[in-house]
Amino acid sequence: MDTFFQQLINGLTIGSIYALVALGYTMVYGVMRLINFAHGDMVAASAFVGLTIYTQVMGQSATLFSVIMIFLLAAVSMACVGVILERVAYRPLREAPRLSAVVSALGASLVIQNGIMLLWGPQMRIFPELVPQVYWEIGGVVVSLIQVIILILSLVLMVALYFFVEKTRMGAAIRASSIDQDAARLMGINVNTIIATIFIIGSSLGAIGGLFIGLYYRGITFNMGWQYGLFAFVAAILGGIGNIPGAMLGGMLLGLFNAFIAGYVSSTWSDAFTFILLIIILIVRPTGILGERVAEKV
Amino acid sequence: MKNLNVFGYPLFIVFMAALPLGLDARWQEVAISFLVFSVVALSQDIVLGKCGIFNMGQALFFGMGAYCTAILNNEYGWSLLSTIPVAILIPALFGILLAGPIMHLRGDYLLVTTIGFNIVFVQAVQNNLGGVTGGPNGIFGLDSLSLFGHEFTDQVAVYYFAFAVMLLTLWIMRNLEHSKAGRALHYLRLDPLAAESIGINTRLYKIFAFGLGAGIAGLAGTVFVAQFTAVSPEGFGFMQSVLFFSIVIVGGSSVPGIFLGVFVMFVLPEVFSPLATWRYFIFGFAMIAAMILRPRGIWPAKFGNIPKFLIKESNHGG
Amino acid sequence: MAGNDLVLTGVTKRFGGLVAVDDLSFSVKEGQIYGIIGPNGAGKTTAFNCITGIYRSEEGSVKWRGEEIRGLTPYQIVDRGIVRTFQTIRLFSEMSVAENIMSGRHIKSSQSWWHGIFPTPGSRRDEKENWLRVQEQLEFFDLQDYATTPTGSLSYGMQRRVEMARAMAVEPTLLILDEPAAGLNDKETCELLQTIYKIRDKGVTVLLIEHDMDMVMEMTDYLSVINFGRKIAEGTPAEVQANPAVIEAYLGSEDDDE
Repeated sequence: MDTFFQQLINGLTIGSIYALVALGYTMVYGVMRLINFAHGDMVAASAFVGLTIYTQVMGQSATLFSVIMIFLLAAVSMACVGVILERVAYRPLREAPRLSAVVSALGASLVIQNGIMLLWGPQMRIFPELVPQVYWEIGGVVVSLIQVIILILSLVLMVALYFFVEKTRMGAAIRASSIDQDAARLMGINVNTIIATIFIIGSSLGAIGGLFIGLYYRGITFNMGWQYGLFAFVAAILGGIGNIPGAMLGGMLLGLFNAFIAGYVSSTWSDAFTFILLIIILIVRPTGILGERVAEKV
Repeated sequence: MKNLNVFGYPLFIVFMAALPLGLDARWQEVAISFLVFSVVALSQDIVLGKCGIFNMGQALFFGMGAYCTAILNNEYGWSLLSTIPVAILIPALFGILLAGPIMHLRGDYLLVTTIGFNIVFVQAVQNNLGGVTGGPNGIFGLDSLSLFGHEFTDQVAVYYFAFAVMLLTLWIMRNLEHSKAGRALHYLRLDPLAAESIGINTRLYKIFAFGLGAGIAGLAGTVFVAQFTAVSPEGFGFMQSVLFFSIVIVGGSSVPGIFLGVFVMFVLPEVFSPLATWRYFIFGFAMIAAMILRPRGIWPAKFGNIPKFLIKESNHGG
Repeated sequence: MAGNDLVLTGVTKRFGGLVAVDDLSFSVKEGQIYGIIGPNGAGKTTAFNCITGIYRSEEGSVKWRGEEIRGLTPYQIVDRGIVRTFQTIRLFSEMSVAENIMSGRHIKSSQSWWHGIFPTPGSRRDEKENWLRVQEQLEFFDLQDYATTPTGSLSYGMQRRVEMARAMAVEPTLLILDEPAAGLNDKETCELLQTIYKIRDKGVTVLLIEHDMDMVMEMTDYLSVINFGRKIAEGTPAEVQANPAVIEAYLGSEDDDE
């Protein structure tokens, strides 16, 4: 039973990181029908930016203020990268064949990933200990302060996003653009603004996900983005692509699935199991658990 | 197009046939790699370019062919050339089996699923599946190329083996263009519903393309083993698949475009080896720029394999 | 005239709560030019999609020469000699006219899939043979001059002709035309009529949906009128024109149209 609850906690922690990253994929896919392959690399870049802000700007201090500043600055810089990325690499290809946009996204991914390598080096870097190492042991199950922070903060962000999308005018415009971009345009919605907004939100959430990865796993590498990005994208598909609550659910489920596979079966086969799960889900329920919500591009 | 067929291809083939004479050992090695990667990229073109299947896991079949050859040689002492039928058939069968249940999925899902297959494959060989894949280090110290008991230690022999495989691949691709099966791939890529409505079993031909592509990639795997007398998992990762995918799209899914793409991706970095760490950074920009400037690829494929007697009558044709 | 070729009995197709085709029955006899008319959204194209296997109807049966074909895939239905064109023309627009027509030779070609890898003298002969058939279609539809032209650059009327040539290349026994005159000018419509007669004279049964009343009345041997997915009348053009239900449901509602 101890293993069960321990893996439950671990799974929820990593699951909420997947969910944060998956939101960026699912929102972009929902409106543009494009897998933003660079998203995972932006998540990785965020961890490195956080590291540099900590050492260069904050003078290696881990006060509450500097931690908040690290999160804010990393999120803002990734939002900028996201907007530039969309403007430079994706917008010119909106009318081009689908595969051209996919290759452009792969190119952007290579640029960001190798940009990190050129700036910070190819070796693993250690992310600063921004949160004190506090642990609680409850009946044999260890819970760390970091896990609690990740869980609570992710939940708050996701609830906030949910209300933003469901209750505000901007959110309604985003939903409208996901259903039918051309109709949305005819109704006076500026689709360019919507797409920019989506990139800002998605990249910021991804940036926070990247900092969480740094906090939780400590070791960060320039190419870790593909791993987390791919898993997060799988999470988005599991929940139903384009579906925001679906991405949250998919992330949590995938995190739990990974944790239980690692806990009960074998960690060396976890990738294989993840993709086998994906393939089974796609065969059984091709639109994901909560159903997809995407603009049909005809 | 006509000039290419009449002069371009023969010239290219003659040039490639004479190439090892003018190269030292290091550049011969590069030239072999060029041929091997070209074959894999052409096999990817059958799947992605002709049939339009969003496949981002072609390195899996390349690797599977290589591992078939390596395992048969290492465990059972088969000579490299005698493993060829297995190195073609096992990846082809695997391709067919994997393609069967997923072919109806929408493009982007196929993309992620095939990436998944690739990752599962790499993880399987890294975990030393069945105790024969050698784990993360792979299998090394394999035999060199031999024929009727004569061993070829010179890598020029490997070069001509690779060259023969490339010629075979080009020949198959040419045959495809002049056959019912090859045309069916074009039709179903351009409009699956229209293709189905004039009698094409789209599912069958998608699986055919996938299996054929996998088989050719597997054959390239044998050549890879002949070159390095070793295999290891990292040569067949997801990154390789991304490169093959990009080469086909950036090249424009035409034979010259693909050769150009392989040259840029695999040969130029050898020329500019001091810039090795900048390699993918620059490629990334190049991929974006190429797609924005030429969304259909640098050298887009042309249709028009029409017999001459029809062309003569046509005076409006382009 | 022989017996019934195509028999629909009680065919019903629903989309969610909407009944697009409701208990539709009709039968087409060999050698006929059979018309289906009805206002926009009456379910005509859906009925065609049920015949050609693009949709599977929930109820009823679609029999072709006594064989149940409901539930077959589109390519299996083509294999039985039933070929269709689309209301929204679906050509392979990047390809030339000749290549488009060649696609219709797919099921007639004797090549196997593996001939695409290793050709044999037989498969080469078959290839040549089929291109000759394409040439015949080019001549039949007067398209010789455009053999190498990409279909995407042709006029609408020409594209319709290519699509019919492609369908005829299959050598069908039943040709299904979905609004073949839509978007054509008077001259082109006139030519189309002649072409359809010529196709019928080759022994091909023709089933068509049409919006253009004059054309339907002039050319069909027999027709059914559909409204809201149901058949409201059938008969020869003269009978249908005299039917009060038709005048009310179809002609009446189309006052403002022409």
